[in-house]
Parts: sequence; structure tokens; C-alpha cells
Amino acid sequence: MRRGIDDGEAVARALGGDLDAYGVLVARYTLRAHRAAFLLGAGEESDDVVQEAFVKAFRHLSRFRVGEPFGPWLLRIVTNETRNLTRSRRRRAALVLRLPSAESGGPAAAGPVDEVLAAEQRAQLMAAVNALPDTERQVVVCRYFLELSEVETAQVLEWPLGSVKSRTSRALNRLRGRLVSREQNRVLDG
Amino acid sequence: MADRTEWQRAVESELRALGRELEVPPASDLTAVVRQRLEGRAGRRRQVPALLPGAQRLRPAWRAALVVVVAVLAVLLATPQGRAVISHVLRFAGVELRQGPGPVHSPASSASLPGERRMSLSEARRQVAFPILVPAALGRPDEVVVSDGGRIASLVYRRTPSGTVLIDEFAGHLDPVFFKKFVHFGDVSQVVVNGTKGLWIKGPHELMYITREGKPATASSRLTAGNTLIWEIRHVALRLEGKLGKRTALDIADSAH
Repeated sequence: MRRGIDDGEAVARALGGDLDAYGVLVARYTLRAHRAAFLLGAGEESDDVVQEAFVKAFRHLSRFRVGEPFGPWLLRIVTNETRNLTRSRRRRAALVLRLPSAESGGPAAAGPVDEVLAAEQRAQLMAAVNALPDTERQVVVCRYFLELSEVETAQVLEWPLGSVKSRTSRALNRLRGRLVSREQNRVLDG
Repeated sequence: MADRTEWQRAVESELRALGRELEVPPASDLTAVVRQRLEGRAGRRRQVPALLPGAQRLRPAWRAALVVVVAVLAVLLATPQGRAVISHVLRFAGVELRQGPGPVHSPASSASLPGERRMSLSEARRQVAFPILVPAALGRPDEVVVSDGGRIASLVYRRTPSGTVLIDEFAGHLDPVFFKKFVHFGDVSQVVVNGTKGLWIKGPHELMYITREGKPATASSRLTAGNTLIWEIRHVALRLEGKLGKRTALDIADSAH
């Protein structure tokens, strides 16, 4: 396999019908695409969404501008596929995101103070993110869970950059509001 | 961004940390199936190799069943009832904290520890096996009570600027649990007392005394008043309770040694 080739070269060869070269891109971006699909709400159908996105991406490769980063371009297609899916199943776009099972039931075990408190704070933040309105949740997923820049987020969600900024700051405000009792503890009491 | 304030940066970094912990199921290797579809060899979506004859026929039913199971799970996880199952236990300085409501408790006024005996401070010091610490910030207590055969010493201050203040002291390292508390962990935070770790519990919560045999003393069960600070100095565990702010409580704790 030609693992050594860079994205631009792989795209150029794939455009010429080289499926091995496209296979390099599929292998390289599957994990990232799958994580995006899952966190944006595709849930157990994430593999299907990613498969569909890779097929569509190949068919639309001619629209890919040379020199543009492949990741965000692909993630935009993944996001669209995820939206199609959630729209068709007429569910709230977001499924409930979860933290690992350390804190999901089971016989309760006494843990070290720091770990238990940190886990509880994480759980509270997770619940607050799950309760955000869809658009704000999407921007939180892109900016902080997928660690995309504002520009990349704008491209992936197909929003103007200004909307990315305003929705990010609205989401941060709301999350702060939800965590305010904890913050107040710190701020008011010392 | 330059205009991000400190709290925004704090929330952002917590979100990034959260993102790294999120549960994401493993991805399938799609290289082969994507290639098949691009070569036009395969049909449409998702090519699962049929391992058993008839597997293809069974799949829709299986899928439907799976969807139902997943939907039920999602509801369970999303509802408060589902989340109520989640419980944490935290032990610190002979005090066990549990998330969630405790058992029905008697009114605070009638609650008592087993075998309570009022006595002078010097008599109490002869009755218990650990050094009783008196915070200089509060001075001599109005009342000293020794309970359960010298296992607990309590100092009561009736007329502080913050009203009644209670300090329970015990040899927190001897038994795993002296007190059990039913709290919401969101109300618990870590603090530093005399350079070591302490816990600050904001607001009232249910408190219950646990005997040497590990049994709850039901008559001791009550709702605490105000806020609580728990810390430990040289094997003596202290539980300070009263309508005190965190700063005042920490000042009192720092003066006990």
C-alpha cells in the first residue's frame, strides 16, 4: 500500500481513478469521520454514515480544491449524511453522549476523593452539554470534542464564521450558567 | 481568541478534557467495502458477509429487535430514574459520603448519638483515647459531650456570631466509618486545611452515626444545619457543622491544633 503519499497526492491519483490511492484516504480518515458521525448524532449507525460519506466524497472529488485540507472537507460530507439520517428517523439530532462506565451503575466502590469529585463534575458537564439546544451542541462537539478550529467548524457545519463564534459563546454561557452553583462555591466562598 | 475571559477558557479546557473521555464505539474498517462499492461490484449500503445460510433473510428482524433494545436503553439512560442508579461512594477521614437521599430520619431535635454523656473538657480528655483539639478561634466550648464509650467527643458552642457550632472529633483512622452522609456530590468540594486535604459540604444533608460494628445508629439520623467541613490532623478527624461561610469555617479549622 502507498501509505507514504500525502492527502493532496492521494486525491489527485484518486481523481484519475486510482482506488488504491483513495483507499489510503479511507484508512487515514475513518476514525476521525466515525468519531464525528457518532458525536454529531449518528449513534449506532455511524459506520453506515461514514461508508456513505466516503462513497459520496469519491464521487464529488472533482469539487475538491487542490491544496484545501481533506479532513474538514470530508467531515462536512459526514455531517450532511448524519443530518440526513437524523432527519429521516425524525429524532432529536442528538443522542445522549456518555462518559465511560466508571460512573454508570454497578456496585458502588469507594474511590479516592479527587477521582470521585472530578468524575462527578465531568458527569454534570456532560449532562449540561446533552441539554444544550442542537445548534449549540453541534458547535461544542466540533470545537471541543473534535477539536476543530473556528474556521474548520464553519466549513464542516456550513455556517458563516460569525454564527460559529456567536453560537460558541452562547453555548459557553449556558454551560457556565448550568455549572454556576459549583462556580459560586469557589468564587463566593474563597 | 484575545477576548476570551478566564471563565470561558476554564469551561473550554474542561470541555476538551471531557471530549477525550467520551465513550465512542470502535469504528469498522471500511476500506474494503468502500472499494467494492466504488468498483460497482457490490450493491448499496453495508455489505455484511453472510456467514450462515439464511442470515441475510434474518437480518431485518434482527435489526428491528436491536433498534428496540437500543431505544429502550437510550430511554433508560436519558431519564432521571436511569441516572438515579448511578451512585458514588467516597470515604474520607472516617466519614462516608454517598450520593443520593438517605433513609427516613428523625427530627434533628430528638436525634442523639449512642450513650451521650455531658462532662467537663478535662474529664472528656481522660475518657477518650485521642487528643481533643480545641480551635483557638472559638475558645472553650459551652458543652462537651462524650458518646459511645469514648468513641466520639463533641464540642458545642452555643453563642458564636454564626449561631450554634458543633465539632465532632474521633480517631478517624481506627474504623472505616464513623459517620455516613447522604449528599449531592455537586455540593462537595475539596479544600486545604492546615496544608492538608479537607472536604467542604455546602448546605444541609442527612447524617447518620455508624457504630463500631458497622451498624447505623438509627436514633442518630438527622439533617445537618448549615454547612460542614471535614478534615484530619494527626489521626484526629474533625467534623465542623454550623451556619458558617467557608472562610470562617477554614479559619476555625486552621486554629485547631
